[in-house]
Amino acid sequence: MSIYKNAVNKPITTIMIFTAIVVMGIYALVQMPVDLYPEMDPPFISVMTTYAGANASDIEANVTRTIEDALNSVDNLKEITSTSSDNLSVIFLEFEWESNLDEATNDIRDVIDQIIDYLPEGVERPMIFKFNTSMMPIVFYAVTARENYPGLEKLLDEKIINPLNRIEGIGSIGLMGVPRRVVYVDADPRLLDAYNLTVEQIGNAIAGENMNLPSGNVKMGNLDYQLRVQGEFNTSDRIRSLVVSNMAGKPVYIQDVATVRDSIKDLTLDETINGERGLRMFVMKQSGANTMKVAREVRKNLAELQKELPPDVEINLIMDTSDFIKGSINNLSETLLWAFLFVILVVLFFLGRWRATFIIVLTIPISLIVAFLYLFISGSSINVISLTSLSIAIGMVVDDAIVVLENITRHVERGATPREAAIYATNEVWLAVIITTLVVVAVFFPLTLVGGMTGVIFNELGWIVSITVVTSTVAAISLTPMLSSKFLKLREKKKQPKWYSYERTIEKWLGWLDNFYEKTLRWALRHKLLTLFVSLAIFVGSMLLMRFIQTDFMPESDESRITASIELQTGTRVEETIKTTRYIESIIKEKFPEVQILSASSGSDDEGGMFSLFTTTGSNMINLMMRLSDIEEREKTVWEIASGIREEIGALPEVINFTVETAGSGMGGATNTVDVEIYGYDFNVTNTIAEEIKNRLEKVNGAIDVQVSRKNDKPELQFVLDRDKLALHGLTTAQVSTYLRNRVTGMIASQYKEEGEEYDIRVRLKEEFRSSLTDLEEISIVTPTGARIKMKELGEIKEYWSPPNIQHKRRERIVTVSAKPDRIALGELAKRIKAEIDQVEIPQEVLLNVGGTYEDQQESFMDLGLLMVLSLILVFIVMASQFESFIMPFVIMFSIPFAFTGVILGLLITDTTLSLVAALGAVLLIGIVVKNGIVLIDFTNLMRDRGLELYEAIAVSGKSRLRPVLMTAATTILGMLPLALSTGEGAELWRPMGITVIGGLVFSTLVTMVIVPVMYGIMSHHGERNKKKGIIKQIRFME
Amino acid sequence: MKAVMIIFNQTNTERVEYMFDKLGIRGYSWFNDVKGRGSETGEPRMGTHTWPEMNSAVLTIIPDDKVDDLLNAVEKLDNIHKEVGVRAFVWPVEKTV
Repeated sequence: MSIYKNAVNKPITTIMIFTAIVVMGIYALVQMPVDLYPEMDPPFISVMTTYAGANASDIEANVTRTIEDALNSVDNLKEITSTSSDNLSVIFLEFEWESNLDEATNDIRDVIDQIIDYLPEGVERPMIFKFNTSMMPIVFYAVTARENYPGLEKLLDEKIINPLNRIEGIGSIGLMGVPRRVVYVDADPRLLDAYNLTVEQIGNAIAGENMNLPSGNVKMGNLDYQLRVQGEFNTSDRIRSLVVSNMAGKPVYIQDVATVRDSIKDLTLDETINGERGLRMFVMKQSGANTMKVAREVRKNLAELQKELPPDVEINLIMDTSDFIKGSINNLSETLLWAFLFVILVVLFFLGRWRATFIIVLTIPISLIVAFLYLFISGSSINVISLTSLSIAIGMVVDDAIVVLENITRHVERGATPREAAIYATNEVWLAVIITTLVVVAVFFPLTLVGGMTGVIFNELGWIVSITVVTSTVAAISLTPMLSSKFLKLREKKKQPKWYSYERTIEKWLGWLDNFYEKTLRWALRHKLLTLFVSLAIFVGSMLLMRFIQTDFMPESDESRITASIELQTGTRVEETIKTTRYIESIIKEKFPEVQILSASSGSDDEGGMFSLFTTTGSNMINLMMRLSDIEEREKTVWEIASGIREEIGALPEVINFTVETAGSGMGGATNTVDVEIYGYDFNVTNTIAEEIKNRLEKVNGAIDVQVSRKNDKPELQFVLDRDKLALHGLTTAQVSTYLRNRVTGMIASQYKEEGEEYDIRVRLKEEFRSSLTDLEEISIVTPTGARIKMKELGEIKEYWSPPNIQHKRRERIVTVSAKPDRIALGELAKRIKAEIDQVEIPQEVLLNVGGTYEDQQESFMDLGLLMVLSLILVFIVMASQFESFIMPFVIMFSIPFAFTGVILGLLITDTTLSLVAALGAVLLIGIVVKNGIVLIDFTNLMRDRGLELYEAIAVSGKSRLRPVLMTAATTILGMLPLALSTGEGAELWRPMGITVIGGLVFSTLVTMVIVPVMYGIMSHHGERNKKKGIIKQIRFME
Repeated sequence: MKAVMIIFNQTNTERVEYMFDKLGIRGYSWFNDVKGRGSETGEPRMGTHTWPEMNSAVLTIIPDDKVDDLLNAVEKLDNIHKEVGVRAFVWPVEKTV
């Protein structure tokens, strides 16, 4: 029993099966997380090692190099890069996509275990850190306060962070720029000398006093008492009146030699929001949690919690990544609905029957819902890629149902009962339907095999389209016949149709079109060579136009966000940096009213935490985050505003380097850059070349934000100790450096406890005694013999310049000069840059390479090229076996080049760059175009087998297949139209695909309808399909 | 007794069954998926890609007086749509066991 017979005979079972699918699909739809992109597990692992006190070169030589060499043997490793900076070595390992990161982590751990003994003493155990996109903060808040500013940390911790942490899916909540409370004990070195005291003594006195100690048990009577000594300070004022020592019989109190301040930690990081002092709060979600849901919950809860805060504390949203996601998803869902509507209209237009249209259109939701089921089972999400895939599929899923329904209608019109017509008509076409589906699957299935970052996008697309198309075929040979058997009726031919009826308007026009096409075809068949040459000329001409199309990787989108990082002269103190920040703030406020929230941070947080991994900080760095008003409410695009800001910042003389970026959450946060990589060991040589290349790139038209990855050398003071003198005084380098550190940075003597929180008590010299070279030289330390000597007696202070960081790639020192494209395509920029750097003279030991996002682009296009070849081969295989011929597939594939002609024209007319998404559209075209060809050729073969003469067969079948071909093309084109026309949030991402598919399909459909039949005419011979002739030759027994 | 063989397009299966019931013909032999083509106009019914449709055939042995009724019914069926196709052939039955 066949599936369609069963379906027709058991309508209830059929309906129940499909209802079950729909119900499960809707359940999946409701349960599924919504996200911007499919979850990616970027194959990056970093190894962080701290070696306190070492500078960049030490780190490079002793830590980074050792670990790098050892890690090089880890399996599946693609590339290894590292940055060695003061105190810290970060090694960044990139693995092949889809390699098992857990395994890789274990391998790395093994390797580190083996080499840990070779690392210098004092190096802390390397930390292995797996990077994940979900670690990027999803919501940013600006918190400002006036009176409550000093106590803000505790306030937020209690009232906001703890309650928020209870929300499901929240990974962690971080604060940046929090004012931390510290108790400072600033000693006056002259008084210390006078009382013969040291910083250490003060520290020890505080530590010795500030403690609670259990002293045992005392048994008295029936009870057992615990004895304790309670010495912890209950107020920080206590510190003042501690006794440090005795002098001439009198106690010396701390307040005699030092001032005690219970205040906020010294300024190293300044956070302002819209010019007001504040801090930033960021929320990170757990991996796999629903960004939209978490963000929504956070915002809802925060609105409640805010009421409990004092009135001067304000919390404002700076950025919510879910806004963009929500906008994009809504936008795409709308697109999908429009596509659905258009497809209904097209079907209705061509069939002119409500019932038939209803039966066909019903396959759309069913197929799409099965796609949701797939997404749910595979643990994916509703995202831009999956919705775009659905938009692509929506026009294709009706094709099979149309073919089936047409044949059923034919039988019904010949008088068969709908029931029987449904069974037998489906029997006649089911194989053909499955084969055309196979062609589409042949194109889309290879997409699921692509690896790498592009694979993340393509795999989902491939699966979704394959699954929906297969589902639609299953529905077409089960649900469609069943519904037809119930709903289709024989229509009485109307005797006198009204003038506005379908028969006399659209039907008439379509009939005219059929005849016109038949005439054209017959003419073309008489002028085969002319037609062929004209079409070849069109193709070659369009290929020449290819030069004018620019290539790009991923289209950038307007996310209403600008981030900027500005670098001042290295070594600038944070107070100076803040002045610049204030100035920039005032300019932006004045000239760019579109900027709604401006959050600026200047300087660095010495306990930067995780967030420092994503931004560079330093006392000379300014980081700005801006949120613009919604796209609809402003006239300028984010790029225009960014370039305006660029000009303003560039005009400031104190700024030595800056970048302004418009995208934040793009694919893995990457923006498009072309990197010139300079490999070479010698700093001076590579620095010179980097400088030269930078100068040259700045002159290249279209290059902006030219950056050199190696920061300028920063000034450094070195205390060079005289070892002989040290020995003489019985001191060691370690002792001296500890003493020096205690006096300058401060000694953390103890923790002051208040209401369960602990605050550092830091003892050090007063600022005015540690802020000049002479002051430093005058610092006195105590030798083991008790003598006091000045630092200048132990050595001298020298000023040095040292590189703040040293980068490696593939274990070699590297400097990268990167540039961003400004309104030109990435590929074009790379070409110009290559031409420019060819003129640079390079010494032999230095190696140049052009990489960056550009490299990824090349790689992805290569992948895509391979994919196209694979698709073509698969399509050929399917067609060759279907037609049992090697020639027919070629005849059909002849239409593919014209699809690309259409793509080129489409891109040119709309002035769109050929990005990955657009190229993907081109790959999809193969399937759709070939499908049209198959319909045409198959029918021509049929006509010839039925005994028609070659050209007659071509003309007749052309006429009869015009409508189905136009119909499938029209459903696909109109299905994509909303995609191509959409504006608003995120539209930049998928518009190119709509444009390519529409351009390619419009053009190729027009050309296919002429060129494929003509090619058929050229490639075939009269009578070749008469299979009997061959057989007769062998049996001739009656002659 | 006469033997009547009706060869008809599969899509008329139910109508042929209905016809037999209506005329009170109980006995018949049914042949599914019969290939063939008409002598003059009948389209081939081959069940191939080229000629996808198929016929069925039914052979019934009935009393002489029922033959005309049956042939009338077949003609009516044929008249619904000529293209669909149905033919009946009658020949005498000489002996039965």
